[in-house]
Amino acid sequence: MAHATSDTPALQVEGLTRQFGLRRGLDEVSFEVPQGAFLSIFGPNGAGKTTLLRVLTTLLPPSKGTAKVNGLDVQADAVELRAMIGFISHNPLLYPDLTAEENLRFFADMYGVPDPEARIRELLVDVELDHRRLDVVRTFSRGMLQRLSIARALLHHPKVIFLDEPYSGLDPHAMDILDNLIAQVRAEHTFVMVSHDLDKGLELCSHALILANGKVVSVQPASEIDHDLFSATYRSTVGSGVS
Amino acid sequence: MRPSSWRQFVAILRKDIVMELRTFEMLTSMTLYTLLTMVIYQIAFTAAGGGLDVRLVTPGLIWVAFVFTSMLGLNRSFVHEKDQGVIEAILLSPIDRPVIFLAKAAGNLLFLTIVEAVTIPVFVFLFVLSRGGLGGPAWMLVVALFGASVGMAGVGTLLATISVNTKGRDFILALMFMPLMYPLLTAAVQATSIAILGGVDAVPAFWRWMAWVGGYDAIMVLAAYGLYEFVIGA
Amino acid sequence: MTYALLALGGLLTTAAFVMAFTYAPVALLDDGMRPDISFQIFYFHVPVAEASFLVFAVAAVYCVRFLLKKDRILDTKARIAMEVTLLFVILTMVTGDLWTRARWNVWWEWEPRLTTYFLMTLLVIGYFVVRNSVDDEERRATYAAVFGSLAFLSAPISFTITRVMNNVGNHPVVFGGNAGLGTTPQALVTFIIAQVGMLALAYSIFQLRMREERASERLEVVKISLGG
Repeated sequence: MAHATSDTPALQVEGLTRQFGLRRGLDEVSFEVPQGAFLSIFGPNGAGKTTLLRVLTTLLPPSKGTAKVNGLDVQADAVELRAMIGFISHNPLLYPDLTAEENLRFFADMYGVPDPEARIRELLVDVELDHRRLDVVRTFSRGMLQRLSIARALLHHPKVIFLDEPYSGLDPHAMDILDNLIAQVRAEHTFVMVSHDLDKGLELCSHALILANGKVVSVQPASEIDHDLFSATYRSTVGSGVS
Repeated sequence: MRPSSWRQFVAILRKDIVMELRTFEMLTSMTLYTLLTMVIYQIAFTAAGGGLDVRLVTPGLIWVAFVFTSMLGLNRSFVHEKDQGVIEAILLSPIDRPVIFLAKAAGNLLFLTIVEAVTIPVFVFLFVLSRGGLGGPAWMLVVALFGASVGMAGVGTLLATISVNTKGRDFILALMFMPLMYPLLTAAVQATSIAILGGVDAVPAFWRWMAWVGGYDAIMVLAAYGLYEFVIGA
Repeated sequence: MTYALLALGGLLTTAAFVMAFTYAPVALLDDGMRPDISFQIFYFHVPVAEASFLVFAVAAVYCVRFLLKKDRILDTKARIAMEVTLLFVILTMVTGDLWTRARWNVWWEWEPRLTTYFLMTLLVIGYFVVRNSVDDEERRATYAAVFGSLAFLSAPISFTITRVMNNVGNHPVVFGGNAGLGTTPQALVTFIIAQVGMLALAYSIFQLRMREERASERLEVVKISLGG
């Protein structure tokens, strides 16, 4: 198993293909992103964004090609890789009938977090939910749930954080809080975000990738992106639609 | 560094118990369902009149009730995981897939055993004691119930993981569960029958049937354990 | 090749059918006087039953191989083999039932083999219902394969336990038993011809269905490439 150094790319995808049945979910996808980057993945529904995310998070094996996250292969080193990634989705992925603390305790056990009580307390303070820690999650607002799910994703000090449409269903206030939290941990982590929202995605990212019909349409660093041209490219791929 | 599988196993099991103790959703519905089934049985017995030796059919009826009630519980146990998508978060953690199977199966077995422990005395009280009592020793009943529950929980856990992702959920579970349970139920009913009726050669005959139960448990639960990784990953 | 096999299968089973009434020995009823024509269904019933179990085994092998390789074609093969299994299992049940009616004068008997076949029918139908209740193609194939393998594993257990339970078992034993009929070469020849014919039929039905599947798959590919 290769050990990640600062020049190991955070994401290294080569000829990645996902195919079951007649359609290709991902078609020869290749790209590289350095450590500490913030990659935004854009694309219309059915373009393969979610599939790509599921391959990168080890949930789906590639049919062909390879994908490495911090030098770890998504198939061969799956268990090690899982221990170093965090996942935040539009779904909070928490048990409604457990308290905030119990939920975090559960995931601390899943990840084998040492000294879980201290870590949980620390995170609850960070996401400003310490006063609600003994309340059942069912009673939380959408924004609180999202904050707690961020705490869940950070429990085990992940190196790479995946965001799956994290803004969908959030009110403006909750969006601000999420922005703040991302900004706080931005420095030490690599981020990969899947999003519909072009403006939000471009604002945050250091690299942008457009997928359409399972293929990479464009991948480039944010500094080189001409906003209008990028928007036009994006619109045209969305326009070409999903069959 | 790999987190300890034991710690993960305990965490899943404890989480299921805590959630159940908070809502009592599963245990109450399963117990009530079993008790209600007994009322329906009583209708059938009354209609059949005094000529019927109820003790002869009780073993089968007990298992009919438990098969249906276990499906209620199995379904619930995965709806928790599926509805909020939490199973996804568990799969994203560095957990060996079989640990999920063992923990969920242990939880299902625990709940099923609790329901049986509550309802079987009622069964015996209502249908057996007033008609000649237990023929065999009580431990036989306990062994038969537990032995068959292992198979039900084991195979059921695999099938419920499948059915929760289908369109028909509970209906699909029943469709897969019942024909696969047939051999186990056959042996369990025979063993229970010996426990209730007793007889001269009760003990060796009882163990002969329990050997079937054990064999089924070993083969089918092992198969379910081996197949679980495919199902949970799909 | 496939059509030749299909024709051969048809020919052999028809031949066996004719031979059953002209060439093979006819058993006598219990009174020892009148011939028991109903017995001749044996030359149809048993080969069908054996073919059905064999095809079920083939389907189960494809199920397991699919799980190991995740190759879509193996899922298609498993599904087609299950279709053939369903056809043969139903034929077994129908012919078996005709026999019970003629021989034991009841329409249905909870006898080990019949019970097992009844369960098998339910399991195979269950396999298709499970398939139809999952939208995602890969997930559908996986669930079906898991259920298919479990179903195949449980069928022999069901059979054995039902036999142990009512070990009286009045299902006739023709070969190796003391019925004596199977020992005559005429009966054996008729039986073997029927069996070979039935297997040829099963195999060619499977191949023809696979051919059809491949054709419709090619059509889909063309559709996709045209539709973009």
